[in-house]
This record gives sequence, C-alpha cells and structure tokens, in this order.
Amino acid sequence: MNLKHTKGVVRALALLLVLVLSMPMAFSQGTAETKAPAGPVPMTIATWTSNPDQIALLDSFVQGFAKEKGIEIKATFESIPFAEYNTKLSLELQGSSGPDLFWVLETAAPAFIQSGLLAKLNDGMKAYDPADISADALQLWSKGGDVYAIPFSTSPFFILYNKDLFAKAGLNTPEQYAAEGTWNWDTFRTVSKTIKDKTGVWGFQTVDGQGYDARILHNLAPMVRSYGGDFWTDDGKVLINSAESVAAVTLFHTMVYKDASVVPPGNQSDFFAGNAAMTVGQISRVSKLNDSAFAWGLAPMPAGPKGESPVIGQAAIGANSKGRNVELASELVGYMTNKSSVAAMAGIWPPARKSVLESEAFLASNKSVTKEQMQRAVADSIKSGRVLPSHVKYPQIEVESKMVFDKLWNANANVKAILDEVAAIYAKHTK
Amino acid sequence: MRMQTLKASHRREAVIGWAFIAPQMAGFIIFVLLPLASVFVYSMQEKNLLFGTSLFTGLENFRLLAKDPLFAKSLVNTLIFSAGVVPLNLVFSLLLALYLGGGRTGTRFVRGIIFLPVVTSGVAWAIVWKYLLQGGDAGPVNAFLSFFGITGPNWLFEKGWAMSSVIVTRVMKNLGMNVLIFMGAVLNMPGDVIEAARIDGAKRFTLFFKIKLPLLMPTVMMVTIVTIIGSMRVFDTIKLMTDGGPEGSTMVMVYYIYHQAFRMFDTGFASALAVVLFLIVLLLTVIQWVTRKRISYYEN
Repeated sequence: MNLKHTKGVVRALALLLVLVLSMPMAFSQGTAETKAPAGPVPMTIATWTSNPDQIALLDSFVQGFAKEKGIEIKATFESIPFAEYNTKLSLELQGSSGPDLFWVLETAAPAFIQSGLLAKLNDGMKAYDPADISADALQLWSKGGDVYAIPFSTSPFFILYNKDLFAKAGLNTPEQYAAEGTWNWDTFRTVSKTIKDKTGVWGFQTVDGQGYDARILHNLAPMVRSYGGDFWTDDGKVLINSAESVAAVTLFHTMVYKDASVVPPGNQSDFFAGNAAMTVGQISRVSKLNDSAFAWGLAPMPAGPKGESPVIGQAAIGANSKGRNVELASELVGYMTNKSSVAAMAGIWPPARKSVLESEAFLASNKSVTKEQMQRAVADSIKSGRVLPSHVKYPQIEVESKMVFDKLWNANANVKAILDEVAAIYAKHTK
Repeated sequence: MRMQTLKASHRREAVIGWAFIAPQMAGFIIFVLLPLASVFVYSMQEKNLLFGTSLFTGLENFRLLAKDPLFAKSLVNTLIFSAGVVPLNLVFSLLLALYLGGGRTGTRFVRGIIFLPVVTSGVAWAIVWKYLLQGGDAGPVNAFLSFFGITGPNWLFEKGWAMSSVIVTRVMKNLGMNVLIFMGAVLNMPGDVIEAARIDGAKRFTLFFKIKLPLLMPTVMMVTIVTIIGSMRVFDTIKLMTDGGPEGSTMVMVYYIYHQAFRMFDTGFASALAVVLFLIVLLLTVIQWVTRKRISYYEN
C-alpha cells in the first residue's frame, strides 16, 4: 500500500469514525425534540382489543381530552394479544419504550400495583366526579387510600347461544329456561348433550376456546362459584379442592369426556362460525355476531346448587409511572373514565359508574342486545357478581397451576387428586 | 532508521486493520458480548422483571436450580427432543441427498418440495400443523388415518404424543437445509474412488459404509453439530404448538427459560438456566470437536 493510498484510507476511516461517534448525539438530539412542547404530544395506549371500532372509540376520547386541554395529542394504540398481554406489557414497561397508558387485567392488578409501574391517579381523576365510581369496583385497584387504575369495564360473563341449533334440536332457549327458573348447570348439561346428539354440532365451546389454557379460571369460575366453591380467597383460604369445587369441575369434565358435548382441548371448532351451540361471552364480544349467519341470543350463566353466582371480568386503565408525561397521562385516564366517556363505552364495556349503570340509556346502549337481555344478563349480574381471584403472585400461580390443570384433560383423570395438587400450588403462593 | 520506518509502517497497518474491524467488533461487543456477560451477572442476582428489583445472591439461583424438578424435567425433555430430531434429520437428509444426487428424473421437483418448508415462516408452519393435528375427527391428519380404520390421538394434548408430534414437524421443517448441504458433499465425492470400489466388486451396502460415508464424514460432523445446537435452542415450534404442555411434557430448556423470565418474571433464575444451557452446548461442541478426527478420516 503506498503512502497516498494509506492517507486516503485513514481519512475515510476517520470520517467514518466521526459519523459513528456522532450517531448517539444525533439520536439524543431526536429525543430532545420529542420532548419539546411544540407539535402534538405523543401518547401510546396498550390494549388487548384490536377491534377497529373500539380503537376508534378510545381515540375519540383522547381527542376530546386534547380539545378540553387545548393541546394536540397523537395517540398510538398498541394491541397486544390477550394470552401474551402481561408478558409483553411488563417487558415494555421495564424498558424505555413503555406505553403511556395501558389496560390492566384484574388478575394482574395486585402485582402491577406493587411493582410501582402504575402512577397514582388521585389528582388525575379529581375533576371527574370520583365519588360516582362504585367503591366495590375501585377496591381492587386501590392501595393505602391511593387509586392506581380506574375500571373502564365491569363486564359479567353470560351465555351466548345459537337459536337455530336450539330450534333444530327441539329445545327451549336458555332465555326461556331462565324465565322459567330452570336454567341451571343440570339443564345446561342436558341441552348441550341433546344438541350434540341431535345435530352433530358441539353443545358448548369454552370462552374464546381458551378454557383449557389461557382462560382456565374464566371457564371454571362460573361453575365452581355457583356450586359454593372457589379458587382462593383474599384471606388466604384455598377452596379449589373443596367438595363443592370438585363437584363443579367434575361436571365440566363429564361434559367433555363422557357426554362429548363440549369442544375438547386442541379442537378449533368455533361458536362464532356456527360450530358450537353455546359459549361464554361478554358484551364486548357481541359485535362479533353482527354479521353472523345464524340467529342468536344471550342468557345469564346457569345457576348452581347455591343459586346464581355471576362472575365479572374487570379491566382497568392506568398510567405508566415512568412515562414521558405522567401528569397528562393520569388526567387522560380520568377523562377516559369520566361519565360521558363511560356512557359512550357502556354498550361494549359495562361501567363501574353508578350514574351510568343505573340509567335507562345503559340498557339501550348496545343495539344488538334488547333492554331485557341487558337488564337480566348484564345489569343484574353486575350488582351481585364477583371478580376473578387475584394475587400479587398471580403470574407464578397461573404458570405452575396450568401444568397441573393439564392433567384434567384426559378421560381417566382423577379430578379430586388433581385439584388437591392445584390447591397445594395455590397454598404455596397465597399463604 | 530502516527498522524504525518498518515498525511505523507495521503500526500504521495494524491501526488500519483494527479500524476496518472496529464496526464489526463494536456490534459484537454491544449486541453479543455484553448481553452474554449480563446473563452471567444476572444469574447471581434475585432479579424480578416486573418489579425491576435486583439483589446479589451469589450462587443461590444455581442451588435452587439443582433442587427444581421442572429444571430436571426440561433437561430430560431437551435431550428427548434432540435425540428425536438429530438422528431423524441426519438419516433422512443423507438418504435424500444420496437419492437426489444420483441424477434421477424428477429430482429438481422433489428437491423443491423438500426445500419449501425451509423458506416457509416458522410461525406459519407451526400454526398450520397445529390445525392439521387437532384431536378427534376435526384434524385432517386424523381424518386421513380414519380411512384406514385408525383412530388418531389428540396429538398435541396427550402427554405421550405431544413430543413426538413436535419432533416430526420440526424435522420436516428443517430437513431441506441439511439435504442441500449433503447434496453439495455428495456431488463433490471423487467419482474415480467410487468407480474403483465398484470395479473391485463393492456392493451397494459396502460402497456406502466403506467408501461414501467416510468421504462424507466431515460434512456429517458439521451438520451434526449444527443440528444438535439448533435442536437445543428450539423455541418457536414449542411456543406455538404446545406452550410447553401437556403437563410440561414439551417444556424444553429454552422454553423454560422464557417461562421463568417472561411469564414468572424471575430473570435471575432464568439467567442461571441460560448459563447452564450455555455450558451444556459448549461441552457438546468441545466433545464433538475433540472426537471429530477419530470419526472423520478425511478432515484436514
């Protein structure tokens, strides 16, 4: 290599080095620009819905808030699949790119509050009549007098059914049974088997088809609780292996393996495609039936030996305590759960605000659902329902117990012995 | 004076050489070496991803790991998975390469079909097979078996079948790549040696085991190492098809690391698992490297 060439190469490399070294400065300059007050304020909101109508509704609240504040906000919605929600959200929140606002599942509430990832909302919600929110609904999301997330959905589970399949099997509908007072788990089992025998279509599909894995608790809770059992309680009692819980889980197991009337594990038959006569849903799922090829209806969950015991799926929205603009995000949470926002959402996500819940408008808020259905399967259930169990160690409980629950999904499973094993896992983490 | 000029010239060349590799080295240090070192540091901490807490605990994670029944299970599952994937992959890919390297008609078409899964997305492959392997009458595989009067199992939800199903789908996915590598070696075998053996009366069996296989041994060794390491790092197939179930029967080590780190948020314990996996893979590689010359006659 001659000297002239060498000098040229050295100069080129020096230039390259300068460019490489100046890159972090260029990036840090970019970060500074995003913090500048000029231009729209970026806000990222994490949810587990990807429904475009629901996202548009949420965005309309953001724009309403921006207008009220006299600023511009550019909202980006990040939809994370339900089964991966807690995992991905936690990762993002520990990094520097976490969302400013995010939905929180009721089962994860204690862990998220203890982690310090949720900002206190006491000031943010002050302007939006916090006394109107039911104290029961706020209990899970509060600690030491501070509120860390506000429930936007207090949504009971109910039975969605395919009217055409019930008619084909010559059966009354669940709503008719409910009106007669005979809509209980025994009737549920009988109609499920009759439909399978007479039409060849599955009688029941578990919630979102995930009742054997990601939604085990959602699937079993309505049965277990209406039989008088439970999973674990806030005061550390483990009840999943009580006689009542065992009876309830045995009923479900019998339906899957003896009656063969429930879509079994691994089978992808779907209620919404007409491949099952019943499933468990919430009001936010009803929009999936707007263009369905069959007539459908909805009824409350069947009653057990201890009467009706509605299960409520609760979801809240909180602000990232490490976010770029915590104060603004906290106020936005308050706005998104104020009376007018909650009223606009009520047809999809039933409210925790007493004034909206008790209004006539709430009963007419979902065009696909009659007032009577809304009253019987939603409003009444909210009053008497309970949320799923939660715990600060829920992630560990969920993962470890799922491996034991897996043993249930074969024809010869010993239900009592398996639930004893699950109880041992619950006890290990909750006591 | 001349010596000094030479030294200066060498130094300048050394600087230029370092400058050339600097970008690559910077990338390697930032994106490979530092994270790798972090894993070793984290493995000695009680570190929670959700709470963002970390506390130095020395070798406590390794002590817990030794007593963890799920770790033992995941280790055994990993060995079962590798013991299934590696021989199946090697035997079938070698046989196919020998067949396709023979210049028979239709080999281009067969080669294309075999290579197709390699270029297919791993996610799409797993989702399609999850659909095909549904239990009861719903699954196309079981529907096919029912033509012969066979009642297929619930492939991915029965403990005895889930691992086998995952192994077979994984072998089919990656077979094409090894076929391609073996074909390169088969086509480069010296024809005169094979011809001489034939003239000396070597039959097909002898020709394969005494002539062709020794000639192919360097490639076989390389493919074996790559396939074993690949099988120990399996993640996507397990995540999408079985989620480690049923009853943890497909919970291999990498998936257990994911479970601990991102489901249970115990990053410290997960890092200890990662360190153990790293050491196992390192040990296997060293063993193969040391023994290669005893097995492979033609390696330089």
